[in-house]
Amino acid sequence: MSTSVIELDGVVKRYQSGEETIEALKGVDFTANRGEMVTVIGPSGSGKSTMLNMIGLLDTPSEGNVHLDGRDVTDFSEDELTEERRSGIGFVFQAFHLLPMLTATENVELPSMWDTSRDRRDRAVDLLQRVGLGDRLDHTPNQLSGGQQQRVAIARALINEPKILLADEPTGNLDQDTGRTILDELTRLKEEEGIAIVAVTHDEQLLEYTDRVVHLVDGVIQE
Amino acid sequence: MSVTDLLWRFPSVQMAWRNLGRNKLRTVLAALGIIIGVVSICSLGMATAAIQQQATSQLGSIGNEVSITSGQDSDTDGVTDDQVDTMRNLVTDAEVVPQKTNSTSVSSRNGQEVRVSVTGVTNAAALYNLTSGEAPSRLLSGALLSNSTATTLGIEEGDPVEYDGQLYRVQGLIEEENAFGFGGGELVLPESALSEQNHYDTVTIVAADSSTATEIGGELDQYFNTEDEEQLSINTFGNAGQVGGFLETLSLALLAIGGISLVVASVAILNVMLMSTIERRGEIGVLRAVGIRRSEVLRMILTEAALMGTLGGLIGVLLSLAAGLVIFQMITGDPLGALQWSGAQYLVYGFGFAVVASILSGVYPAWKAANDRPVDALRG
Repeated sequence: MSTSVIELDGVVKRYQSGEETIEALKGVDFTANRGEMVTVIGPSGSGKSTMLNMIGLLDTPSEGNVHLDGRDVTDFSEDELTEERRSGIGFVFQAFHLLPMLTATENVELPSMWDTSRDRRDRAVDLLQRVGLGDRLDHTPNQLSGGQQQRVAIARALINEPKILLADEPTGNLDQDTGRTILDELTRLKEEEGIAIVAVTHDEQLLEYTDRVVHLVDGVIQE
Repeated sequence: MSVTDLLWRFPSVQMAWRNLGRNKLRTVLAALGIIIGVVSICSLGMATAAIQQQATSQLGSIGNEVSITSGQDSDTDGVTDDQVDTMRNLVTDAEVVPQKTNSTSVSSRNGQEVRVSVTGVTNAAALYNLTSGEAPSRLLSGALLSNSTATTLGIEEGDPVEYDGQLYRVQGLIEEENAFGFGGGELVLPESALSEQNHYDTVTIVAADSSTATEIGGELDQYFNTEDEEQLSINTFGNAGQVGGFLETLSLALLAIGGISLVVASVAILNVMLMSTIERRGEIGVLRAVGIRRSEVLRMILTEAALMGTLGGLIGVLLSLAAGLVIFQMITGDPLGALQWSGAQYLVYGFGFAVVASILSGVYPAWKAANDRPVDALRG
């Protein structure tokens, strides 16, 4: 229990779509522990993204509970959830989602942009050096390759020293070799920093790196 | 040290500045709307200030005068001695100058004639300025003649003029004021020259300034007249009078026109901000996902609007200043009048209005972006 970073407990999510009510998650139990990489796979429409939104505190369940670091955050307000995301969760997206008008360093600083602490920039530069982009600090995203952009995104996800890193198809827009370097990077983070990594993917390659695979079909987890 | 490094301490400003730089043409066009708004509000305001200044200087001394004639319910055909005495008792801080008026022809030695108005007055010093020397405060003999009439007829100081069979020596020439509606020459004689008239045609009260004149006018009106009986007709020409009132209305109307253009400009900014936040919806979703607070998103977008308003306002003010110099040169002949507060205040108003209108235009788009649920925004 003490090693569990994020826990979904009987989570149900319903959407109203016109007259119909769609149940995207039908009672999901899920746990990710420190230093563990869990991959969620499943066909499209199975509820993977909804589940990732729940884990990332971007959305709240219709039923069930969400625990972060052993605390029940189910009934947190939007502002409280924002604070939890800011301090505890890192996001890596399939399409990288870097801001085009900011340099690599500024993109990494972004989550802590409004904390005017002095070491913000130093930490951003340090993170970029660790992901091998020490010579690309002042490049804007359109001057970087896809793999480089994803490494900037990983550095951004790490700026606030999260306990959990969520990766939505992290290799989806990358070729196989570049994908491998990204996965190596994530593995290193998991092992060295003890970060829990939850990835959602279609990519078979990712499964080689993962500790545990969770199959999601029609909003239900099948072991 | 670049601008970026300086802005690093102000994340909202930095982000806003970068965002505005992304679509320069759109930013410039929105700012142009503000610039046009500021220029129109400033130059219309300054034009009215110039007109007001010019009108006040043209009204000259009559601005602080009260002019009294016999009222429509009066039994006499003029203002009586008794009434003048009463005025003198009531009004202690201003000169009460009764006058009798008539008209006559003045002729030159070679027979040329000019029609002039005749004023019989004792205290000429209170009403007239001479081209040289001072008008006598007790005019008992001799005459004063308009400078223009004297020039037309070739009459000089010391020459005699005839009125009612009597000769009067010209003691001085009257310097005409540049007042509108007071054309024609004037011959000023001692009151005794018009002694066959029992009553005074006009009593002029010369006060220190126009507001005192207005005050005195009101006081006399209250004393002599009742609601349905006008013994004396009392007129003031000060700023509080019809001329000032008209100019104030004019200035309000012009400012309203300028204000409309600024409202149009802020609608343009509202549109631009709304478009750009809708376009950036996914991006703002990312910001929110990585832990940027709602208040921070709100501040960032408000800052964008404020920057656009400030930028447009500054350029607008500079252009308006140039326009103001030209306007004052054209209307009053003194371009530096634009730098006085009466004109320059509109630069301050214009700038303030631009910034406030821009920020207000940013409120809705900023609020909308900040309160979008991150999960919806990320979906784009």
